[in-house]
Amino acid sequence: MATLAPHISVDDLRIGWGTRVLMEHVSFQVKRGSTFAILGGSGSGKSTLLRYLIGLERPETGRITIDGVGAPHQYEGVPPFGVLFQSGALFSSMTLAENLALPLTRWTSINEVVKRELAQSKLDLVGLGAFPDYLPGEISGGMKKRAGIARALMLDPRLLFFDEPSAGLDPISAFELDELILALSRDLGITIILVTHELPSIFLVANQCIVLEKSAKGIVATGDPRKLRDESKIPFVHNFFTRSGADRSTGQGG
Amino acid sequence: MAVAIRVYREGNGARLVPTGTFDLGHTMAATRLLPDVKARLHGCVSVDVDLAELEQIDGTGAALLAQLLDRLDADGLQIRVTEGPNPEAARLLALSRQRGRHLPIRKVAMQNLMARIGKLAMDMPQKATEAFDFTGRCAAALPRAAATPRSLDWASMPRLVQEVGADALPVTSAANLLVGVIIGFLGISQLEPFGALSKVPALVVVAHFRELGPLVTAIVVAGRSGAGLASELATMKVSEEIDAFRTLGFDPVRWLVVPRCFALIVTLPLLTWIGDLLALLGGMFATTTLTSMSPRTYLALTANNVTVTHLFVSLTKPPFLALAIGLVACGHGLATRGGAAAVGRRTTTAVVQSIFAVILISAVFTFFFALIGV
Repeated sequence: MATLAPHISVDDLRIGWGTRVLMEHVSFQVKRGSTFAILGGSGSGKSTLLRYLIGLERPETGRITIDGVGAPHQYEGVPPFGVLFQSGALFSSMTLAENLALPLTRWTSINEVVKRELAQSKLDLVGLGAFPDYLPGEISGGMKKRAGIARALMLDPRLLFFDEPSAGLDPISAFELDELILALSRDLGITIILVTHELPSIFLVANQCIVLEKSAKGIVATGDPRKLRDESKIPFVHNFFTRSGADRSTGQGG
Repeated sequence: MAVAIRVYREGNGARLVPTGTFDLGHTMAATRLLPDVKARLHGCVSVDVDLAELEQIDGTGAALLAQLLDRLDADGLQIRVTEGPNPEAARLLALSRQRGRHLPIRKVAMQNLMARIGKLAMDMPQKATEAFDFTGRCAAALPRAAATPRSLDWASMPRLVQEVGADALPVTSAANLLVGVIIGFLGISQLEPFGALSKVPALVVVAHFRELGPLVTAIVVAGRSGAGLASELATMKVSEEIDAFRTLGFDPVRWLVVPRCFALIVTLPLLTWIGDLLALLGGMFATTTLTSMSPRTYLALTANNVTVTHLFVSLTKPPFLALAIGLVACGHGLATRGGAAAVGRRTTTAVVQSIFAVILISAVFTFFFALIGV
């Protein structure tokens, strides 16, 4: 059942190192069950922002909460989210089944047989049911990404983070991955946050987004990506969504 | 076809006519032309670039010409490019000039020796902080590991013991055997003039059991297994596997570092012991080969000198040496940032520092045992 409380809330986040500021005064909320895209040009800080959201970095200024409580790096128990890293980040010494079983080994007392079955079911979900005993080095880039999604789903999180899910994939594989993301959101009601600059993916899967811009050191636009494409008066935002021109001015507002 | 840039002065303007083949193969020749051309345009306010006589141009050639035109532009000259029958060359030149405007020119400062020493000194506090931080996290991981055994990768222990221990046996055995031979030869050459050949077995026992056995074994393991551990963890770091562990709720120190250190602590004493035995054989080979001492006599003299004290000293050092190797190697692996080059640098640093740590710890133990009279 949907609630009014945002799934993720970011308040006045500042990311920087000493006097060097990457972004500041970053605030946004992600609604439960939505697919939220973090967009921006190269060097705008998309992946760095993601690292803060998933707790790999600790904010010096500002606050990040998930489900209204705590900051990601403070979780001691079962992680409330799953993450797909850009390269999949599968553990190269383990088979796909072993990769998927690892979170269960850490956080549950499930025996090996059941773990194997659960891993198989998740591999079936992402279309890799025939490859449980393959090592990551023996499968393609697109298959690694799908295996990474399957591993991120093993603890049945209500929140998923994707870092450049379509990067490096051919158009068909990218489309299949987008369809999988849509299914996760639509059928399982999972909140999804993805970092991407693939326009076809953005318009297909995302219903909310923020746009980061390097020189503005923060968010220059927020909203539905289709509306931003059609209605934004900010040249950078318009050009980003329409892949046109070299005008990088950001203006004011959204 | 040779490259050239003809310059025709026309009042306060000039016409530049590049000729020949401006491509990768003629890069150096083209580069040598540019300073002279710029000098000959001194005092001009406008330049007309005529591409009609350009035989061929590629991306490199276009970049060189663009560089020249950008400098003239920066000096305030008005630039006009006449493509003539060479529209492709004009487009390529325009593309290079357009890209060049967006990218700032970065100068990489050459670091002399003093600057590098200064940078090293400035980095020391941070490196020391990182080292202490890692050591503290490892220390904190032990009680948590005891409290939550599922947070350790026990399944990898057999593989780790095999890789860092059993697989290192041939090379550590060979090293210790040869060290025993060397000590034997040395003992014979130094003690024979004094008629003290009967002390050679004692020399081999004391030198190897107390000092060289643990040290040589640890150095070989640091170079072999330490490098393997550092590169393994470094590769995992740059491929985001360590980040993935963290987001799955694993503590990388507990999951990865503790089992590896444990495997080293278990196997290094065994390797040292085996090495000690082989060193005795090496010393026996040297002595019985070069002197009239029989193997039976050598073994009897050896047995008389293998005391509990020497065994105690031989056994006490390896666990500490193993821990040093594990912490240094794993610490460097987990601290890696960058790509393949960073993996190589960290691995090399890990090996060097772990070898130094092993020698330092051995020296401390030697001093300590001397103080307490062991």
